[in-house]
Amino acid sequence: MIDASRIITEALVQSGADVFVGYPITPSNLFYTYSKERFPEFLAGPDEISVLQWMCGYSAAGKIPVTATAFPGLALMTETLNMAYMMELPMVLIITQRLGPSTGSATTGAQGDLKFLDGIISGGFPLPIFSPSNFNDAWTLSNEALKTAVKFRTPVIILTSKELVMTQKSFDMSSLEPLEKVDRTPKEFKFPFQPYKAGLDMVPTFYPLGNDEYQVRFNSSTHDNEGLIRKGTPESLANTWRLREKLEKRIDEYSFFELDAENGAEDLIVTWGVSADASRDSVNSIRGKGKKVSLLIVKTMLPISQKIYDIIDSYKTITFAEENMTGMFKEMIFGKRTTSKIKTATKFGTMLTPSEIEEKVN
Amino acid sequence: MEAAKKILTNVKMPFCPGCGHGICVRSTSKALENLGYGPNDVVLVSDIGCSGLVDPLFATHTIHGLHGRAPALGIGVSLGLDNPNKKVVVIQGDGGATIGLQHILEASRRNIDMTLIVINNLLYGMTGGQMSGLSTNEFKAYKHSDDDADPYDVVNLAHQSGAAFSVRVNDISNFTDTLKEAINTPGFSLVELSSLCTSHGMKKVADMKGFIVAEERLVNNRPIGVSKKRTKNSLLSSVKVLEKQFESTIEDSTGIVIAGSAGGGVQSAAKILAQAGILSGLYTTMKGEYPITVGTGFSVAEVILSKKPIHFTGLEKPSAVIAVTEEGWNKVKNRVAHESKVLVDRKICADCSVDVKDFLKVGGKMGAALSAVSYWVKETGVFPVEALFKVVESSKYAVSLQKAIQSAEELREVVYSYIPENKKRTN
Repeated sequence: MIDASRIITEALVQSGADVFVGYPITPSNLFYTYSKERFPEFLAGPDEISVLQWMCGYSAAGKIPVTATAFPGLALMTETLNMAYMMELPMVLIITQRLGPSTGSATTGAQGDLKFLDGIISGGFPLPIFSPSNFNDAWTLSNEALKTAVKFRTPVIILTSKELVMTQKSFDMSSLEPLEKVDRTPKEFKFPFQPYKAGLDMVPTFYPLGNDEYQVRFNSSTHDNEGLIRKGTPESLANTWRLREKLEKRIDEYSFFELDAENGAEDLIVTWGVSADASRDSVNSIRGKGKKVSLLIVKTMLPISQKIYDIIDSYKTITFAEENMTGMFKEMIFGKRTTSKIKTATKFGTMLTPSEIEEKVN
Repeated sequence: MEAAKKILTNVKMPFCPGCGHGICVRSTSKALENLGYGPNDVVLVSDIGCSGLVDPLFATHTIHGLHGRAPALGIGVSLGLDNPNKKVVVIQGDGGATIGLQHILEASRRNIDMTLIVINNLLYGMTGGQMSGLSTNEFKAYKHSDDDADPYDVVNLAHQSGAAFSVRVNDISNFTDTLKEAINTPGFSLVELSSLCTSHGMKKVADMKGFIVAEERLVNNRPIGVSKKRTKNSLLSSVKVLEKQFESTIEDSTGIVIAGSAGGGVQSAAKILAQAGILSGLYTTMKGEYPITVGTGFSVAEVILSKKPIHFTGLEKPSAVIAVTEEGWNKVKNRVAHESKVLVDRKICADCSVDVKDFLKVGGKMGAALSAVSYWVKETGVFPVEALFKVVESSKYAVSLQKAIQSAEELREVVYSYIPENKKRTN
């Protein structure tokens, strides 16, 4: 038997993650335990702010750091997460959702942190959020998350939930293909080297602090191509704007979803994360009764790809299946207003069940 | 180290006229150059505030972060570089030092190889000259502040936490030599430098004498803190592989809720049941629920045994609800569905309408849950009870686990026994 915490931890190490820095918190504890067993380097931080600051230091020095936490830890990390985003430092944060608000119920699962993550970078900048829906996703999506972090020079989030990462399941481990280790060779660049000068791919070439070839400057404040504070110059504002562009314009390079489309279906279930398996069962049950239904499992939650909008627009009714109060992903697509076209199968405090989803679809 | 080059750029100092920060910057560069460091050998980590304006002045690598967090960022840079030929120098002011006091203590505790320069101008310069946690009472009285809490002695705090070298220097003529000594010290060094704030504090260096804390110089002889590197095996290689050995009668799927109290073996009983299911060719899931206080209160586990792959791991209608303690029963009794078989210990309710058995009596506190699970397996015949024995066979607690499984037999009329393969006699 195996759990997704083990799978994600192993996948990240095999993909090239160098160091785990953590402060334990339920329900992310297994990540801490497994990382201590597996990572080439493991550091126990005294608090979550320190954890993410240390990670930024490691990342700026050329290493790929990983941590795992839950909402209370993420809340403390928020300012530093913005710093990592502004400095363009690759790293992976695993967030295991639990029931809130505040300390809430640490051992109860939920899907309640998506909207917080949607606005977590001040100014509305997109942060890549990956949400595995099962064990195989946990393996491949962790690899994609780490590759995205390096390729786009950005922190990324792997968004999980208590029941997804703590439940043990029988599992055929031979279904896990070997993972490709991320390549950290610096990209070619146009001389002279400037730490924040980007080419057409909108991502500056990364050289670590302390390297002997080029002077490197990282900066958390609005900065120019040299990495020096510049308030409101065209170059510095363009540099900040680029942070959005590099992720929005190249979204199809890291946007993942699973569409189980049934010919002639007018109903679509849209779901993510821990609610995906309940939705899979629900779809099987609905189809077993002779009704047509399609299923869209979103795996890159943010930013939202145009492909997701297009799929949703092609159905007559859409049921959002999520383990939160109001349907957070639904609200990110359609806002708070609900029409006859849009339904929400939501749950608070316990797992959303297949029959509850089926009831809403019908 | 690279050939000697200037540590500073030609950029003009950005500080107010007469500000002491320029002296601190020049002293730092002189110290580094005198010690033979070139620009690419040094990583300057800067904070927020007047001291955070230093980046353009340095031709070194620079990283400019958040208010108060520069020492924490420096810890990450130093451990990440892990290179004794590179020097991490962190600069922050008195405001940053109190925001991130924990980081200073942590750098000291771990004796991280870097030098922190705290430029103390006794106030918050950028926001209007408010008092800081390093403002002295004399200075606060001079500024007509009502706050009379004593300032932090950041030099002594670092020393008490284990810093290799911590020092306060008030005389600007000693800045460079003291910084050289700090930078040359292996491990964590903290240098508090007094700096004049002409905009909000004083106009002359001579005026500072009555307002600053006396010089201090403290040493700890300790090894440098490093992050250990290790090579570890795959986490997948330690997962127990279970192959089918027994047959199951389950045609579809069945779900069981097992409830008891923390420390009563509920989670391990559930895992043994799930693993026995795999040995019987079934797909299985097992999840636990317990209060955040792991060692007390209820302990509940859910197991699904299924002929088909399992997607949803929740249990809408359990086939069986088993409870061996009252707090466990109270937690799960509302889970009982119409089709649920209920098994509870006699101590919970002797006269209940549900099936009552003496699980605690025959299995003991630690074995009651496994005893109940074993009883359910035998009663339902979902798979041979030998599958349970097989799972526990290689456990270091094999004897007590086998005893718990066996104890279920006392609750049944039919007697059975199991002899592990390696204990069977051959004729």
